[in-house]
Amino acid sequence: MAVTKEEKFPVAKRFDIADVQVSRDATAVKPKIVANVIKKAKRPLLITGGQLLKDEKLVEFAVKFAEKGIPIAATAGSSKPLIEKGVKPVSKTYTLHQITQFLQDEEFKGFDGSGNYDTVVFLGFLPYYLSRMLSSLKHFSKITTIAIDEFYQPHAKFSFTNLTKDRELYYSMLQEVLDNL
Amino acid sequence: MFELKKGAFVVDELRNVSIHIGKIVEEEEEEWEEAGPTPKPGIIELRKWDHKLLERYEPFYAPMQDFCNLCTMGPCDLSMNKKGACGIDLKTAKARLVTIACCIGASAHTAHARHLVDHLIEEYGEDLPIDLGGNVNVEAPVMRTVVGIKPKTLGDLREALSWAEKEIVKVLHSVHIGNEESYFDYESKALHVSMADHVGMEVADIAQIVAYNFPKAEPNTPLVDTGFGIVDVSKPTIVVVGHNVMYARPVTDYLDEQGRLDDFEIAGLCCTAHDMTRYSAKAKIFGPIYYQLRVIRAGLADVVISDEQCIRADLLDACKKAGVPLIATSDAAVRGLPDVSEWPVEKIVDALVSGKLPGVFLPVPEKVGQVAPLVAEAVFRKHGGERKYKFFENDEQLMEEVNKCTQCMNCVFACPHSLRVDQGMVHAQKTGDLSKLAKLEEICIACGKCEQACPKNIKIINVIMRANYDNLYNKTGKTRVGRGPIQDTEIRKVGQPIVFGQIPGVIAAVGCINYPDEMKSIVEILEEFLKRRYIVVTSGCHAMDIGMIKDEEGKTLYEKYPGDFDAGGLVNVGSCVSNAHISGATIKIANIFAMRPLRGNYAEIADYVLNRVGAVGFSWGPYSHKAASIATGFNRLGVPVVVGPHGTKYRRAYIGKPWKKDKWWVYDIKTKQKINIEPAPDSLLVAVETKEEAIVQLARLCIRPNDTSAGRQIKLTHYIELHQKYYGDLPDDWPVYVRSEADLPLKQREELLRILEEQHGWKIDWDKKKIVDGPIRPYDAGFNPTLVEEVYAKYTKG
Repeated sequence: MAVTKEEKFPVAKRFDIADVQVSRDATAVKPKIVANVIKKAKRPLLITGGQLLKDEKLVEFAVKFAEKGIPIAATAGSSKPLIEKGVKPVSKTYTLHQITQFLQDEEFKGFDGSGNYDTVVFLGFLPYYLSRMLSSLKHFSKITTIAIDEFYQPHAKFSFTNLTKDRELYYSMLQEVLDNL
Repeated sequence: MFELKKGAFVVDELRNVSIHIGKIVEEEEEEWEEAGPTPKPGIIELRKWDHKLLERYEPFYAPMQDFCNLCTMGPCDLSMNKKGACGIDLKTAKARLVTIACCIGASAHTAHARHLVDHLIEEYGEDLPIDLGGNVNVEAPVMRTVVGIKPKTLGDLREALSWAEKEIVKVLHSVHIGNEESYFDYESKALHVSMADHVGMEVADIAQIVAYNFPKAEPNTPLVDTGFGIVDVSKPTIVVVGHNVMYARPVTDYLDEQGRLDDFEIAGLCCTAHDMTRYSAKAKIFGPIYYQLRVIRAGLADVVISDEQCIRADLLDACKKAGVPLIATSDAAVRGLPDVSEWPVEKIVDALVSGKLPGVFLPVPEKVGQVAPLVAEAVFRKHGGERKYKFFENDEQLMEEVNKCTQCMNCVFACPHSLRVDQGMVHAQKTGDLSKLAKLEEICIACGKCEQACPKNIKIINVIMRANYDNLYNKTGKTRVGRGPIQDTEIRKVGQPIVFGQIPGVIAAVGCINYPDEMKSIVEILEEFLKRRYIVVTSGCHAMDIGMIKDEEGKTLYEKYPGDFDAGGLVNVGSCVSNAHISGATIKIANIFAMRPLRGNYAEIADYVLNRVGAVGFSWGPYSHKAASIATGFNRLGVPVVVGPHGTKYRRAYIGKPWKKDKWWVYDIKTKQKINIEPAPDSLLVAVETKEEAIVQLARLCIRPNDTSAGRQIKLTHYIELHQKYYGDLPDDWPVYVRSEADLPLKQREELLRILEEQHGWKIDWDKKKIVDGPIRPYDAGFNPTLVEEVYAKYTKG
């Protein structure tokens, strides 16, 4: 099911040399797989990052995730454009760093008090920053992590491949995830 | 009567007998303060305090690699917190790694201090008095609190240094294979060695202030030229880079003696630049450490003097390629160069100017003072002011380089910021427009990894710099010269409003330049707080970046805000080692305002700071090990630190869980009860991704349990306003900070009371507009919090 079998997708390439020593690489997945994993989740959460402040398309996709019923924890100020488009994030104040710490605690009951999240999707982060958080979740939690940014993230459980060269392909993949939710 | 003095003595009547008297111990040591429980603490004496912090602010680990490679039994796969061959698990291995980083940082400052103190004692004698100006009586707050001494002379500083050196070695020992089993205990050791770091920094800066007559706590120090385009290129230019001004300082003396100071340009990179300007306001600041390749490749230097710390490890190579002679001075960075200490000045000058040697190792400050100007002048004469290498000879050469790019993106994948060099190149290829490449200059740290990754060997840094040359050249301004300590009189004035909260906070912008955003972002963040009349303190590379960014009227923040340690003031304390004056200022608040004794009384002071002093450290672009130990040292003192996103690569943070109610408590000395409190501050070390997030986090982390109602109202007003401005809504957690209706922002009081009632189930008496039920605790004007049992016992006695 890995994307490397399909020609239309570029190969998954690590974005910096610091991630060379990874014991388990993320499975680079197609959009349909991302949608299936999210659909199977009991408590999914989408966390949005600061790149939403620089790319309006990402805001539009996040809004569509919210419309599909995925709760959003907005970090780094990404709540502002989302709120302006009518989304009510379940968290606005906490940083990704803090939320990652919360997620690793078995006593965390989620932002609505209904229990911790089993599947967390990440959209719109600086790649090196997200990489560290995914590493932490990989080692110290059982949460299924899905990175749907333009960079392949080896520490995630599932990740989009590298789409840095072809932004239109990247957007089309995000749309495909949403179409299959 | 014969009076004992230091030195060697021969007793006339006794043949072959001489007596050497070292330190004279006074019969009765001055009783300046009753000794506290932990003078010169060993590595476990403050463990109890550390555990208090760590239980509340739980260590968070984000491994960079899944493996440990530190011994020959490995590499060991520690993923999913597995154990390695030695038995260490991943969390503990990461805690050990952070401890090692903090040891490196602490030893850098402490070795720097040792160098300085030994050299200065030789030059000025050990009896040189420690005089930091008439308004500084608490001269060494960190040393008083940690070491338990009140140094009066240069020689006295050795006692503090010896203690710090001993503790660094002990902590370093603990990181050997087969020692600690608990990550908590490694964290405790990281906190300990980082506390020693602040002692080392304080020693270093006090020594150089008194010996070199740097500004002594003066708020309005001179403004000096700062930026890439500051030097008069028609003069020989001496460039200094590093952190230890001891070696380059005599250049100024020599030129001054010769009456030729105005014939040369002396400009620096990183903290040596700060300290050169503290010595002579005729020196200039080129910029932060990442300007090294910009300055060298642009051909702005005629000679480079390097000392120690954070300097490029390939500086000699970079200088060689640009045809600039290098004088390496510190024994920490000899750079493979021949030691020419014993050579006559003329021979050294000849070797460097003729090119027989690309560089020399010259650890003799006085000789550096003579050699550097002579070399600079001779090199300048050779090129006659026509500097050979300005990134490219002409635009044709630049475009030839641009046209080599195939958009393979290897550079993007190697870049620490994933800068889209490929997009800039292809746009330039198609249109000739360099603007996309120029934009990259604003964030490029010129590390050079891209050039190594490029299969076409494109000089990518040169392309980026040339593309933005005019803007780069014009990005100049003024930096206020580092003032050193904060005056006791200033503390007396602001102590109460800081502790009570009327001054909403102290933001200490400290550290390196690995920003996630353009350089101007640091100014945008800090000005938000200056306008709101927080106190902003700065040092190091952050302090010089502030001096390079001008507003529409051409003014830097230093020209817009005064240098006083007061509401709305922007205080540049100086170089890296001057950071001790920031930790020192928080300590002085406890001492001068609250009369808490300092001597060997660390836990009580740190507990006071954590609960009462709304100071927050901010390192927007941390990258060095020193930044790790500086931040961790602040953390032990109860000061939270916000770092930029690259700070997550330190692999460890201290992040509390505000939803865990049992973690947030204190003993109240007034009511003699254990009381649940609001989670303030809720993190001790946390990363942010954007400038918007930095601003909001800094404001929320200034809140302290001890705030008065007036203070809390001011802090909440700023926090809520900033959250609404940048996040588009009220904060998620604002109700936890409300103890009574008086804490609420005046303008929004009714609206917020309604939200508390409708959304949070609080009971409101609408006739009186008072909160009847809901807060974690009610406001009590006599609230006197502490986390430390011994402090509780001390102040509840009787």
